Amino acid sequence: MLTVSNLHTYYGTSHIIQGIDLEVEKGAVIGVFGRNGVGKSTLLKTLAGWIKPAQGEIVFDNERLNGRTADHVARKGIGFVPEDRRIFPGLTVEENLTLGFLQVPRRSSAGNTAALRRIYERFPRLAERRNQHGTTLSGGEQQMLAMARVMIGEPRLLLIDEPSEGLAPMIVADLFAIIGEMKESGCTILLVEQNVHEALKACDRFIVIERGRIVLSGNAAVEDDRNKLMAAITF
Amino acid sequence: MSTAIEYFQFVLAPQMLIGLVLGVAVILVALGLTIIFGLLDVINMSHGEFYALGAFIALALGSIGLPFWLLVILVPLVMLPIGYVVERGLIQRVFHSSERHVTTLLLTFGLGLVMEDAFRLVFGPNPHKPETPIPGAIDVFGVFLPLYRLFLIVGGAVIVALVAVVVYRTRLGAMVRAAAFDRHMAASLGVPVQHVYAGAFAFGVALAGLAGVLLAPIYSVFPTMGRDFILMAFTVVIVGGMGSIAGVVVAGLLLTQVQAISSLYISPVWSDPIVFGIMVIMLMVRPQGLFGRLGHG
Repeated sequence: MLTVSNLHTYYGTSHIIQGIDLEVEKGAVIGVFGRNGVGKSTLLKTLAGWIKPAQGEIVFDNERLNGRTADHVARKGIGFVPEDRRIFPGLTVEENLTLGFLQVPRRSSAGNTAALRRIYERFPRLAERRNQHGTTLSGGEQQMLAMARVMIGEPRLLLIDEPSEGLAPMIVADLFAIIGEMKESGCTILLVEQNVHEALKACDRFIVIERGRIVLSGNAAVEDDRNKLMAAITF
Repeated sequence: MSTAIEYFQFVLAPQMLIGLVLGVAVILVALGLTIIFGLLDVINMSHGEFYALGAFIALALGSIGLPFWLLVILVPLVMLPIGYVVERGLIQRVFHSSERHVTTLLLTFGLGLVMEDAFRLVFGPNPHKPETPIPGAIDVFGVFLPLYRLFLIVGGAVIVALVAVVVYRTRLGAMVRAAAFDRHMAASLGVPVQHVYAGAFAFGVALAGLAGVLLAPIYSVFPTMGRDFILMAFTVVIVGGMGSIAGVVVAGLLLTQVQAISSLYISPVWSDPIVFGIMVIMLMVRPQGLFGRLGHG
């Protein structure tokens, strides 16, 4: 479904991603782990079209996505929930959600309405607060909104960056329940997460990044692989 | 008491009315400027020349017999593709450079100079005065107010209200506000940000053209006409809040009233320094202006 070959990305003169190769099969949930500043978020931003790679290839469903704009990437079915939620101030909850319709420009108006209804059924708190500005929601509700506005576009590949950061344990449990539901619906997920124990429950496979390179990959269900992972990410 | 009422009726009110007409004119010119600045973060130094271009297009089309009221609709429609092409062809080329603010400022400044010279070459240096579309006048507070200026006040309010409805009450407006705040996130939700940018620039240019058509019967049409309003329009945008529609309206009315009323008590030559002084103080005390930026809540 997604093939990344020899990917290199720079921030100015800093060489952040230094040759990543990754194969992601349809329906898989891949955990992306590593210490702060090793390039996990940059990898997701590159895949989402926020940063142009300097070298390498990103192929999604047989289409080369290098250098394509983020809106093109979104319309191809790649959803991105970035680290800091990035809710638009001045836009209501419903305006934030309905912007997500643009991920599926060919869907009918009735299809959009049905998708919005499903989102409100799944996230009743957002339905209650539909006319409230998105930035006035609590941190947990904002994270739900960030997830919901991408889910409304029914992405086939979902890139999620640090979703549990700064959230209460109960909200984190809700969040991973949603990730589980997305997985069951057949969505492929690339999950960057510091809460490794919780993330491993949702993941099929994982990779560990260090200095912009994959230094370890393994099966989340295999204990030996999990032990190697914990050794790699703890001092 | 009666002296105070008479002072208001015969001195203050007429002056405020004159200020109101000027305020509406400034708001019409500044509206497009603030949308372009709020969304693209581009200081469009050629905005005054686009205002003039609208007036010259109206002048040219009017000379072949097209009625004024048709031009009010036609000129903004002609300006839309011009603005779109300028944004995609010129602004976008330098938009992603690290020196974006300087390069876009210089680029649009240069474009304005080229346009001004082109107007001089094509239409000559002398002013042209289109006929007033609504002749006649009425008495308001004892002041003689031409009907067309009254129309301009009402029409200006309608235009501002329509623009505000488009920006704040439609999905297109939500796209524009989202892209203004966070272009990456907006794009990741499928918003075609580059087209939204070009469309917003075109919309701003079309508004400048509309202002050109509407103000031509009052202020005449001449190659440097853009300069007359652009300094005041920039001041209004800075004081109101860069990119804020409400800010343009409030600052536009406020500053032109300051100009009008201050000229009653001190020499009118001081009215411009006072207004620009307010801009300098605003930049020092509250650089974001009275209202925040477009898309920034």
